[in-house]
Amino acid sequence: MKTKNKSMIVIFLAPAIFLYTMVFLYPTIRTVIMSFFKVEGVTDAVSAWKFNGLGNFRTLFHTPLFMSALQNISLIWLVGGVGVMLVSLLFGVILTSGVHGKSFFRSVIYLPNVISAVAMGTMWINYVYNPNFGLLSSILKTLGFSEAAATQWTGPEMVFWSMLVAYCFGMVGYHMLIWMSGIERIPVDFYEAATIEGANVFQRFSKITLPLLKGVCRTNIVLWTVSTMAFFVWSQLFSPVNLSASTVTPMSYMYELVFGASNSAITVRDSGAGAAIGVILTIVVVIVFLFTQLIVRHDDVEL
Amino acid sequence: MANKKIRQKTNWKKELALAPGYLIVGIWVVFTFVLIGWIILASFSTTREIFDGNLFKFATGLHPENYVKAWKTHKVSSYFMNSLVYTLISCTVVIIVAAPAAYVLSRFKFRGNGFLQNLFATALGIPAIMIIMPLFALFSQMHVNQSRGLLIFLYIAINVPFTVFFLNTFFHNLSVTFEEAAAIDGCSPMKTFWMIMLPLAQPGIITVTIFNFITIWNEYFISLIFANTAKTRPVAVGLYSMIQSMRYTGDWGGMFAAVVIVFLPTFILYIFLSEKIIASVTGGAIKG
Amino acid sequence: MKKKLCSLMAIVLICAMALGGCGGAAQSSAPAASGEAPAGDAKSDVTVTYYSMWNETEPQGQTIAEAAEAFKEKTGITVDINWQGRDIRKTLQPALDAGQEVDLFDEDLERVNGTWGKYLLNVEDLAAKSYDTTDGKPLTDVINKKLVDLARSLGPDGKLSTIPYQPSTFLVMYNKDIFKTAGITAVPKTWEEWLDACAKIKAAGKTPITVDDAYMASLFGYHMARLIGKDKTLAMVENKKIDDPAVQTFGEQWKEMYDKGYISKNAAGNIYPAGQQEVASGDVAMYLNGTWLPNEIKNSAPADFNWGTFAYPAVGKDGDGPEANQYGAQCFGINKDSKHAEEAFQFIVFMTTGEWDNKLAAESIGVPMANDATWPTQLADAKAVLDATTTRYPWAVGMENDADINAKIKTNFALLVSGKLDAKGFADAMKK
Repeated sequence: MKTKNKSMIVIFLAPAIFLYTMVFLYPTIRTVIMSFFKVEGVTDAVSAWKFNGLGNFRTLFHTPLFMSALQNISLIWLVGGVGVMLVSLLFGVILTSGVHGKSFFRSVIYLPNVISAVAMGTMWINYVYNPNFGLLSSILKTLGFSEAAATQWTGPEMVFWSMLVAYCFGMVGYHMLIWMSGIERIPVDFYEAATIEGANVFQRFSKITLPLLKGVCRTNIVLWTVSTMAFFVWSQLFSPVNLSASTVTPMSYMYELVFGASNSAITVRDSGAGAAIGVILTIVVVIVFLFTQLIVRHDDVEL
Repeated sequence: MANKKIRQKTNWKKELALAPGYLIVGIWVVFTFVLIGWIILASFSTTREIFDGNLFKFATGLHPENYVKAWKTHKVSSYFMNSLVYTLISCTVVIIVAAPAAYVLSRFKFRGNGFLQNLFATALGIPAIMIIMPLFALFSQMHVNQSRGLLIFLYIAINVPFTVFFLNTFFHNLSVTFEEAAAIDGCSPMKTFWMIMLPLAQPGIITVTIFNFITIWNEYFISLIFANTAKTRPVAVGLYSMIQSMRYTGDWGGMFAAVVIVFLPTFILYIFLSEKIIASVTGGAIKG
Repeated sequence: MKKKLCSLMAIVLICAMALGGCGGAAQSSAPAASGEAPAGDAKSDVTVTYYSMWNETEPQGQTIAEAAEAFKEKTGITVDINWQGRDIRKTLQPALDAGQEVDLFDEDLERVNGTWGKYLLNVEDLAAKSYDTTDGKPLTDVINKKLVDLARSLGPDGKLSTIPYQPSTFLVMYNKDIFKTAGITAVPKTWEEWLDACAKIKAAGKTPITVDDAYMASLFGYHMARLIGKDKTLAMVENKKIDDPAVQTFGEQWKEMYDKGYISKNAAGNIYPAGQQEVASGDVAMYLNGTWLPNEIKNSAPADFNWGTFAYPAVGKDGDGPEANQYGAQCFGINKDSKHAEEAFQFIVFMTTGEWDNKLAAESIGVPMANDATWPTQLADAKAVLDATTTRYPWAVGMENDADINAKIKTNFALLVSGKLDAKGFADAMKK
């Protein structure tokens, strides 16, 4: 029986492990190594790599565009994160508070997630933010704020925030679902007991819901971090031709460095620096992950 | 009688208390509908009307021919078929690879089990940027970077860890009595898995497959890097390349028709299966 | 259950086959006998692999596909077109490095020679031969000489390694009807005349000029070169310091354009292609852009749109005048390792001369390569500008060569033309 199991374990696990090794493990290790070398083209043979120590990282931190990218991604993570978490939590609480048509609302709010980001982005840029006939300027005009209606939503001062709002709009539904599933797992008698003791809505929320959602909160933060670090397509949509300081992110900068995809006639390729960007992002993810582990490790309630 | 009356009264009060909630989600929902409605209107309009903001007047009538143009001239049909092939094959193979692995991890105690579970979980946190460069180099050397098989392979490989992770929990919650009964009947563990456990896991498999379907259908970055010819592009990158080639053609009505065609499958799937989809999202995330 | 399992296995097998089969796609064909005369001989059965910068769906792509069929009909040579679209910037180099079968490829003239120079075959000899569509003359004698010279000057070691096609120049594209309504009789040649024309257009109720994020760097580069000359402008990019005192002059002049309402109020927020759509709508009179513009907006502009073009005016006495412009082309290049260079070159000749040269131009409102060709009516004025051009600017006068500088221009110029920065603030921000 034992040996039989052994062969079964091996056979059943082998394909998955093989795929993991080939597509995650090997590339990750190679990228980490590559980040310490001067590598021009992504397909250059290893013999053409020149050891560069921390040179790639140093170059990156002296490149204004990469610094803009870091600043942008930090703001997206922090400001967007706080915004999305609050709004999605609010929606989660509203939808679990016994409203009618809960599943309808839930489905519609989650809907943007099933639509390709390319489609969503095109719509935001060409419709919502259009200065002449756009949704935003029409609403503002109708409300009588003619000055605000004239704002260039995709101008250099606003484009970052416009992009962020468009991105977050889609993300709210996803995080809301996670909040909701957490809230719904809190036993109802907790609330009943609290209500009997005279706790109001806000007290119930802050004393019961919030503390019991710590684990879910951690999940949300980790998922948010992972998806923000991959922020790419929105940046490409809001600056379709070449990089702009206000919309560049590490991923889009990497794409330019490694694949030289912009419109400019002469492209400087630096795959080593591209790899370094990957390493930096991975470190960020790991730090955030460990940090959230640390905060909620002890009082994580098994729900 | 009296009792009923009171209940109605309290209900009313409760609804009133919920009014701000209704208002907030209501506005959000209306906004979502306006956005999606706009795309649909734009898809029946002309470039000129879109850019003049005269979308809602339809001065030149409806233009259903946009759909024909998008489908034929802009080759959305080809992107669509590619996506369909990629999605169907990868979704199937992912389950074939991941389900046995998840089963073994959830059922058998052996050295390295916990390590392997963690290993698969780490894949969820590795940014795509870490894996694309070596893979691009590797596949270029292997001369496979023009093929559809490559994308299918990548979609399978990339979605296996999450699926293992998801099904692991699912198998964990299945009772062991089935296997015990099978063992008494002299059924080998491997056979037990294919004949009994896999069918039992069907609800979980369906849920995770729907999730994988939507992920792969809308996948952008990997196909941007690896779908290197027009022939192999799936819908998301196909759409983007259409937007890019707008500079040479400028047919926006056709483009929005393409947008609608592209989101229609996931949208329809969603309308019928939204409960399942939502379950797959929360089920997958909550344990992470 | 068994059935289900069987079908699963079948799918696995299919996948395995799909994965395994993909590597063998690029079978190399038998090498051609060298020394074959270029045309008129017995039909060949060679296959030329062509990595194309076009998508099959674009007018250029469609025309090239048709041409390839006609070419096979005529010579027997198959041109296997691998439609890459603009992804070719990403995919060509790896394909060449990996030794994949690539005989022929195309992209922008500057890019092919600048970025992929080391992969190019020297085609001086091939281009010196005559072909059946060149009237007994060498190819280089019947196609646009200016572009041949350019291709040669950009080529590795100053040797002709690419054959240009689809010529273009970068100049002010304008709406002749608006000029007429505004009472402008002659195109502006100096900055004073330019401002004067803007005033008239504004008075006629239209917006004089617009721009979007894709072309801000070009506009800045052109204007700077008109202020301080091409060399000093390029030197700034080279030194990565946009610090010439004239940057402030630029700021003053474009601040004035903004203050007087001469530049579209949407310019700062325009994301490509929003700027050119403003031109198409008939509200905006001018746009500093390429001769490809009429083709790009033909779907949104009225069919009778009255196009005119003129060179960007002279601005300062120290800078260049209207005789300095960017011009360029797409170009074909041949892989130096190609076994079918002659066949590939025959196809190049086929595409750049005679029937297909004209057809390609006609389908894309573009310019043919032939020396004596007539340009499309939309671009009639542009030919005069190109003929009078004696100094050539590189693309965007170099401003896009550095991603940081390009990004800086986009941010600060947009701030300038939305009134958020004054001339000094602009110059300071650019210096940083």
